[in-house]
Amino acid sequence: MSRRYDSRTTIFSPEGRLYQVEYALEAISHAGTALGILAQDGIVLAAERKVTSKLLEQDTSAEKLYILNDNMICAVAGMTADANILINYARQAAQRYLLTYNEDIPCEQLVRRLCDLKQGYTQHGGLRPFGVSFIYAGYDPQRQFQLYQSNPSGNYGGWKATSVGANNASAQSLLKQDYKEECDLKEACGLAVKVLSKTMDSTKLSSEKIEFATVGRTPEGKIYHHLWGADEIDALLKEHGLAKPVDKDNEE
Amino acid sequence: MSSPFSINGGAAVAMVGKDCVAIACDLRLGLQSLTVSNNYPKIFPYGDVYLGLTGLATDISTVSDLLRYKVNMYRLREERAISPQTLANLVSSSLYERRFGPYFVSPVIAGLNHKDGKPFICGFDSIGCIDFAKDFIVSGTASDQLFGMCEGLWEPDLGPDELFETISQALLSAVDRDALSGWGAHVYIIEKDKVTKRLLKGRQD
Amino acid sequence: MEVLLGITGKDFTIICASKAAMRGATILKASDDKTRNLNKHNLMAYSGEAGDTTQFAEYVQANVQLYSMRSGTHLGPDAVANFVRGEVAKALRSRRPYNVNLLLGGVDPTTGKPSLYWCDYLAALAKLPYAAHGYAQYYCLSILDKHHHPDIELDQGLKILRMCTDELKRRLPIDFKGVLVKIITKDGIREHDYVDDKQILPA
Repeated sequence: MSRRYDSRTTIFSPEGRLYQVEYALEAISHAGTALGILAQDGIVLAAERKVTSKLLEQDTSAEKLYILNDNMICAVAGMTADANILINYARQAAQRYLLTYNEDIPCEQLVRRLCDLKQGYTQHGGLRPFGVSFIYAGYDPQRQFQLYQSNPSGNYGGWKATSVGANNASAQSLLKQDYKEECDLKEACGLAVKVLSKTMDSTKLSSEKIEFATVGRTPEGKIYHHLWGADEIDALLKEHGLAKPVDKDNEE
Repeated sequence: MSSPFSINGGAAVAMVGKDCVAIACDLRLGLQSLTVSNNYPKIFPYGDVYLGLTGLATDISTVSDLLRYKVNMYRLREERAISPQTLANLVSSSLYERRFGPYFVSPVIAGLNHKDGKPFICGFDSIGCIDFAKDFIVSGTASDQLFGMCEGLWEPDLGPDELFETISQALLSAVDRDALSGWGAHVYIIEKDKVTKRLLKGRQD
Repeated sequence: MEVLLGITGKDFTIICASKAAMRGATILKASDDKTRNLNKHNLMAYSGEAGDTTQFAEYVQANVQLYSMRSGTHLGPDAVANFVRGEVAKALRSRRPYNVNLLLGGVDPTTGKPSLYWCDYLAALAKLPYAAHGYAQYYCLSILDKHHHPDIELDQGLKILRMCTDELKRRLPIDFKGVLVKIITKDGIREHDYVDDKQILPA
C-alpha cells in the first residue's frame, strides 16, 4: 500500500501522512543522542559521538556541534552530510542579516530561515527531505537565552530542555523528571552528562564519546559560546563520577 | 566635482616595529570643507588583524561590512582566525572584483603573522594592487604629509612604546597640515598577545 | 533651501523639517511634511530630489513595517539606520540612484537611549548628537556646537532649536514657511506644536 505514496515527498498518503518525512525522522532516531538544557545564566548542548575507532583520525573539530553565528550554536542529529549544507546556509543567512542590519540575527528568525528551507523539501517534488534534526542554543537581547529544536518536516519549537536522536524518548523523560526551572549553567551541565550517561550504551563516558558546548555570559556581561575541549569534558565527567577508568583501553 | 577620495577626508597609517605593529587613523568625517562628525573611526578589527580604510565614507562602510561578512564566513568554515596575509589577499581580490567600478577606498592592513609572529603591514590602491612595505604604509587625504612625517620619524626595530610615540606624532603632525583630516585619532599597538587601543584627543579645530 | 535638523538629548530626539515644498524658486505648498514614521520609535526626515524622496521614504517605510509583521519584533534605531544606508548605497551604484539626504531619529524602546543618524545621498552614515542637512548645516551646527550637551532636557533642546530656526529665518534668502517639529521618546513619536509666528528681521 505504502509503495504508491512514499516514493515522492510531495504526495500525502490516504491517511494524510508524508512518508518520506517520517522515514527521515526514523533515520534520525538511530543517530547519536543530542540534548540541550536551558539554564538561568546560559545553555548547555551535549551530543553523543557514534563513530569512535582507533583508526579514525581524532581531529579536534566537532562532529555534532557547530557554531552558527556569534550568538548561536547548534547540535546535530542525523545525516552529517545534510547538516553541513544546512549549517552553511544558516551561517550565510546570519551573516547576511548582520550585513543589512549591523546586528546579530534574532535566534528565532535564524531557526525559522532554516526551517523554511527544510519545509521546501517536503513540498517541492523530486527531492528528499533533509535527514537532520537540530537543537539550537542562542542569545539575543530581546528574548535572552533560548533553546530551539527543529526536524526534517520544518517544524520548530522553543524548549527548556529537549533531546533528539537515539533513545530520545527516555532522555526526554529523564529531563522532564530532573529539570529544574531555576537551575544555573553548572547544574545544567551536570544534568546533561547524567542524562547522556543513562541513554548511551556504555555507562562510563569519555571525552572521545561525547561533545559538549555552552552559551553563557562572562562576568563582564559579554555573551560567549564555547565548544569544550577534551580536558574540560573529562574534568566534568570526573566530577560527576562518570569517567571511564583510564587503564582500560578502548576496544572497537 | 572633486575626487571621490577627497570628499569626506581622512587619514590612516600603519608602521612596523620590533615584534609589534601599529595602525592609526584620524576621526574626521566631512563634506568638502564642512566637518560633519568628529568621531568617525576608520580602523576595523578582523580578529587580531586590523584594517584601516580611508576614502569615500560610503565605501568605507560598504567595504568594511563586506569584509566582515567574508572574514566571519572564513572563520566559521576554517575554524580559525584569519591571518594578515590571507586578509590582504581577500581584500585585494574583493577590490579587483570591482575593477571597472571601484570602491573609492585606500585600505591599510596591520597584524602579526600567526605562525612566526612576524610583523606584517601592507596597503592597497582602490582596485586591489597590494603594496607590501617593510617600514610603513600611509593612506588618505593627508598621505603626502604622512609620507614626510614617517620618512623623518620612523626607524627600524622600535619597541611598542616608542612605536606608539612615533606613529602618533607622525599622524597628528600630518593631519595638522591637512584641512580634510584630523579631529583626534585612534591608535592601535599590536603585540604578540596584547592589543592596546589608545584615543588621542588631537586638535579640535 | 530645504531645512532638516535633528537634536538628541537625555531621553528624546527632536526632528525638525521645513514646511515649504519647492520647485525651483516657486513654493508649491506651505504645509509639507518631509518625515515618515518607520515604526513606533523611528522617524525619518528626508530632503532632495522631489520624486526620489517620497518614493524612497515609502519604500523604506514599507520594508521596515514588513519586517515587523514577519518577525513580530521591531527594528531598533541602529538596525533601521543600517538598513536604510544599505538601500541608499545599493541604489548609488545602480542605473538610477536615489538623490536623498536623510536624518533618522529614534529611541531604543528597551534601553530608552535616543539616537540620531545622518545619511547623505552618497550613503555616508554617521551617528551624531545633532545634525543638519542643506544650508541649515552652515547656520545651525555652530549654534549647536556651542549650546548642545548630550544630557539636556526636552525644554532645553527646544530652546536650542528655537535659536536655530530663528537664525535660519534671519539668514536664509527664501522663506521656508516655518518648520514641522516631531519628538521621539520611549513612548513613541509625537508632533510638537511649534509656535512660529514671531517675525525675525534679517540681520
